[in-house]
Amino acid sequence: MLALRLLWRNWRSGEVKILAGALVLAVAVVSAIGVFTERLERSLIKESSSFLGADRIVRSSHPIDPAWFEAADRRQVRQARTAMFSSMVFAGDNMHLASVKAVTPGYPLAGRLEISTIPFAVAAADIAVAPGVPAPGEAWVDSRLLPLLDIELGQRVQVGEKTLTVTRVVIREPDRGDGFSLFGARLMMNFADLAATEVIQPGSRVRYHWLLAAEGARLDAFMQWVEPQLTEHQRIVDLESAQRGLSSTLQTGRRFLMLAGVVGVLLAGVAIAIAAQRFAGRHVDQVALMKSLGASAWRIRGLYMGQLLLLAAVASLLGMLAGDLVQRAVVAALAAIFPISLGAAPIGAYGIGAITGLVCVLFFALPPLWHLPLVPPLKILRREMQVGAIRTWLQGALGLCAVVVLVWLYSGDARLTAAVIVGLGAVIALSALVAWRLLHAGRYVGMRAGSVWRLALANLQRRRGQSVVQILVFAIALMLLLTLTTVRTTLIDEWQVQLPADTPNHFLVNVAPYEVEPIQRLMTQQQVQANHLFPMVRGRLTHVNDAVPAAQVQREAEVLRREANLSWAESLNPDNRITAGVWWPDWPAERGVGVSVEQDVAAELQLALGDRLRFSIGGLRLDATVASIRSLEWDSMRPNFYFLFSPGALDNYSPMYLTSVYLPPQKKLFINDLLRKFPTVVVIEMDKVIEQIQTIVAQVSQGVELVLWLVLVGGLFVLLAAVNASMDSRLQESGLLRALGSRRGLVMGSLWAEFSTLGFFAGLLAVLGAQVLLFGLQAWALDIAVRPHLWMWLLGPLGGAALVGALGVLSCRRVVTVAPAVVLREVG
Amino acid sequence: MIEASQISKSVTTSEGELVILNDVSLSVGGGDSLAITGASGSGKSTLLGILAGLDLPTSGSVSLNGQVLTDMDEEGRARVRAANVGFVFQSFQLLPGLSALENVMMPLELHGSRDAEQRAREFLQRVGLQERLRHYPKQLSGGEQQRVAIARAFASEPRVLFADEPTGNLDTATGSRVIDLLFELNREQGTTLILVTHESRLARRCSAQMALQAGRVMAPATLVAADALAR
Repeated sequence: MLALRLLWRNWRSGEVKILAGALVLAVAVVSAIGVFTERLERSLIKESSSFLGADRIVRSSHPIDPAWFEAADRRQVRQARTAMFSSMVFAGDNMHLASVKAVTPGYPLAGRLEISTIPFAVAAADIAVAPGVPAPGEAWVDSRLLPLLDIELGQRVQVGEKTLTVTRVVIREPDRGDGFSLFGARLMMNFADLAATEVIQPGSRVRYHWLLAAEGARLDAFMQWVEPQLTEHQRIVDLESAQRGLSSTLQTGRRFLMLAGVVGVLLAGVAIAIAAQRFAGRHVDQVALMKSLGASAWRIRGLYMGQLLLLAAVASLLGMLAGDLVQRAVVAALAAIFPISLGAAPIGAYGIGAITGLVCVLFFALPPLWHLPLVPPLKILRREMQVGAIRTWLQGALGLCAVVVLVWLYSGDARLTAAVIVGLGAVIALSALVAWRLLHAGRYVGMRAGSVWRLALANLQRRRGQSVVQILVFAIALMLLLTLTTVRTTLIDEWQVQLPADTPNHFLVNVAPYEVEPIQRLMTQQQVQANHLFPMVRGRLTHVNDAVPAAQVQREAEVLRREANLSWAESLNPDNRITAGVWWPDWPAERGVGVSVEQDVAAELQLALGDRLRFSIGGLRLDATVASIRSLEWDSMRPNFYFLFSPGALDNYSPMYLTSVYLPPQKKLFINDLLRKFPTVVVIEMDKVIEQIQTIVAQVSQGVELVLWLVLVGGLFVLLAAVNASMDSRLQESGLLRALGSRRGLVMGSLWAEFSTLGFFAGLLAVLGAQVLLFGLQAWALDIAVRPHLWMWLLGPLGGAALVGALGVLSCRRVVTVAPAVVLREVG
Repeated sequence: MIEASQISKSVTTSEGELVILNDVSLSVGGGDSLAITGASGSGKSTLLGILAGLDLPTSGSVSLNGQVLTDMDEEGRARVRAANVGFVFQSFQLLPGLSALENVMMPLELHGSRDAEQRAREFLQRVGLQERLRHYPKQLSGGEQQRVAIARAFASEPRVLFADEPTGNLDTATGSRVIDLLFELNREQGTTLILVTHESRLARRCSAQMALQAGRVMAPATLVAADALAR
C-alpha cells in the first residue's frame, strides 16, 4: 500500500503526470487504431465477401458433385449454388440474349440482393432487400429487360421450355462483378426450375458457382478438404483472385494503418521514455534518502515497480477507455457519410491496447527507473556524487526492441519489421552525426550573431550531448509525421486516380466493323464519352517456339486452356507500360507480325523477347514474334488485353470491336437505345461494381485520415515531453540570468532562439530521414510509388522551428512571469 | 554504541592515491554525544558516512550497536541503519513533492509503522510546526525546514542520530534554536549523537569532541579524542 501512497503523492506533486499522460495516450492511440482497424477490416472483409456473395466460391464449368454438399452440411459450412448461362428469353415476338442466373435458396451468403417492384428504382424507399430467392415459376429481372422485351411486371417470359412470371426487378446483386464473360440483362430464377428449361445440354457453356460461408477456421478447414478433390475445370475463388485491384487497395490500406499504429506507439514510447527518465532523475535524492534510512535495494525496487505497475494498470484502463471513445466517435462520424455500418470489434481487439501498454512500460518506462535502487546511500551526503543512469544508446536500443516486438505483434511480417528497423536505425545513426555537426556549425554562426542568438547557440553547444538527443527525439517525431503524411497523400491520390469519378462503367463488346461508325455517331449525339474502339478476335495460343508448351506450363497458365481476346493497337492505353522490348513505331517491319504480351502472362509462359507464338483463330493460324512485355492496371476499367498485335495484324480474321464508356446513372437508358438499334452488340455493366469499389476506397481513405490525426496527437505529446524534460536546467539558467539583471526580452528571446534552433535542425533532419524512410517503404513495404513533395523541405525545418519554439517558450514562460528567486528556489 | 578501529579511507585519483582518513579510532557510548570538527576537506563527512554505514572504509572496522558494519554487505548495513539510525543534513533533504507531515511520515512508513501519521503529527508539534503540517518545503523557511528534518529524524526513535552540519545553511539565531531543539530531543530520547560541524560553539555542547586535520585525529591534548573516549 505504501507504493500506492507514494504514487498518489508523486501524482499530486506533478511528477508522474507526464508519464501517466504519455502512457494513457499510447494505449489510447493504439486501442483506437487497433479497434477501429479491426472493425474496418472486418467490415471490409464482410464487404469484400459481398463482392463474391460468399466467403469463398468454387467455380466450375461442370455440375459439382452432390456428395460435397452433404460434406459441407456436416461441417456446418453454409452453402448456396448458382448456375449462369446466356440464353434467349422470349416474350411474344420480342427476344433478348439474357444472362440467366439460377439460384438456390440461401443465395447470397454475403452481401444483399436488392429488388424492387418499380423498374429503374433509385429511391431507397422503393428498394428492398430480397427476403429470399425467386420462388419456383417466378423470375426477377434487370429493369432494362422490361423495355427490351416490351413487358411489365406480372407478365410472363419464356426461358427455353419453361415459362416464368416476372415478379420483381433486380436493383443490386452482390456478386455482379464476377468476371466479364456473361452479357446481357439479368434474369434470375429458382434453381429448381433449371431442369425444366431444358436449356442446359451436354456441351452447353454454363458456369456453376458453389457459394460457401463459415467463420474463418471452419471454412479454411473445409477448403483444405475440398482443394485436393478439385478437377481441372474447378477452382476456388476468393476476394484476392476475384478482384485483383480492390484486393491490392485493401492490402496497402491495411499495411498503412498497421504502420501508422506502430508509429503512434513509437511516438508515445519516446514520450514515455523521456518522462520516465525525468522522473528517475528527480527521484535520485529520494532514493538516496530512503536508503540512508535503511530501505534495501529490493525494497526500493519493489516500491518503484509497484508504483509503475499501478500506474500502468490505471493508465492502460483509462487509455483503453479513451481509445474506445475516440474510435466510437469516429465510427459515428463515418456512419453519417457511409451507409455501411461497422460491426462491433471482438473483445480481443482491446487486448492489443493492454499489451501495448505493458510493452511500453517494460521497454520505455522501466529501463530509466531500473538503476534507481542502485543509487548509493552515500549520495545523501555527497550531492556531487555521480550516479549511474541508463545510457541513451541503451534506451534507444530497447526502444527499437519494443518496435520489433510491436511490429511483429501487429503484422507478423518479417520484411516489414526489417524495413522499419533498418530505416529507423539508419536514420537515427545518421541524424546523431549530422546533429552534432549542425550544433558545431551553429555555434560558429552564433559567434557572429546578436546577444540573443549567441546565448542560445552557446547554450546548445554547451549541452551538446543533451541537445543532440533532443534534436533526435524531435526529428524522429517530425520524420514519422512527415513520412506518414506523404504516404497517406500518395495512397489516397493513387486510389482516387485509380478510379476517378468518370471511370468507364460499361463495356460494349461484339461490335461489328460496320457498326463502329454508327455507334460512334450515336454516342456523340447522346453526348456519351467513349474510349478507343479496339478490334478483337477470339483465339487460342497453341505453340510457343513451334512446340506445344509443357504439361506443367499448361496446368499453370490459364491462357493456354481457353480462348483469349486478341487485339491490335497503334497507341498504348495510358495505364499500359512497356517493361521490355519495343512498341510498334520501333518494330522493324521485316520481323513480321509482332505481339506485345502482358507481363504476368509472359512470366507464366516463361516467354522472352523474340520468342515465336502461334495462335489458332477460328481454325486459321497466326504466327507472331514477342516484341515487348507490358505491365497494365486491370483495375483501370479500360479494355485491356493479354496479347496486343502490331497494327493490322488481325484484319484478316474478321475482328469484332470493343470499347468502354462512362455512363452516369441518368444516362443508363442509353443502353436500351443502343441495344434496340444494334441488337447484336453485347453490353457488360460494371457500374454497380465500380460503385462498390469506390465506397470501399473512400472508407479506407477515411480510416487512414483518422489514424493520421491520432498519430499527430502522439507526435505533439512527444514534443511536449521532450521540452518538459529539459525544463529544470533551463528554468535554473534563465532564473539565474534574470537574477543577474537580464531583461525579460533577452531571456525569452534566447529561449525562443534555442528551442526554434533545435526545432529547425530537427526539421531538417526529419526531412532527410523521411526521404530515407519513404525510399525504404517504397522498396520493401508498401506497393506504391511514393513521390516526396517539395513542400516537405519547407515545412520540415520551418514547421519544426515554429512548433518546437512555440512549445518551448510556452512551457518555459514561467521563468519570466515568476520572480527569479522563486524559480531558483524551486529548481534548486 | 559505536566503535571505530583504525579506519582509513583512500581513493585513487589521476594524481595518485589520495588519503582521506588515516588510522582513526573512536568509541562513543550510548546516550553520549560526539562532535567531529575540522576544516573543509579534513574528512569529517567521510568519517560520518562510514560511521553511519553509508560508506565503507578502505581498512579498519566499524561496529554499531554491537554489529560489525564493515563485515556486512549493503543489504545488511541497510538493516542496521533501519533499526538504529537517523539523520539530519545540512541541506535538510526534504522531498519537495511531500508536505511537512508526509516528509516526517516517510521513514515511519518505510519501517512499516502503523501509526505513522499520528507520530509524525506529535513530532511536528514537538518542533513547533503543528500549524505547518500541510505545507510543502518550498513554503517553509530554512529554519522550519530543518525543524521538519529534525522531527523526521527523531520520529523513528533512532538509537544513533547522525547530524551533518545541521546549522550550515542557517543564520546564527535560527541555528541556535535548531540546535537547542536537537539537544533537547536527544536528551529526552537518550539518543547517541554524532555531529559534524565546524562551529566550535556547537561542538562544545557535545560531551566529547574530536578534531580532524587532513584525515588524521589531532592531538588529544586540546580535545577529548579517541583514547580518552575509549573508556
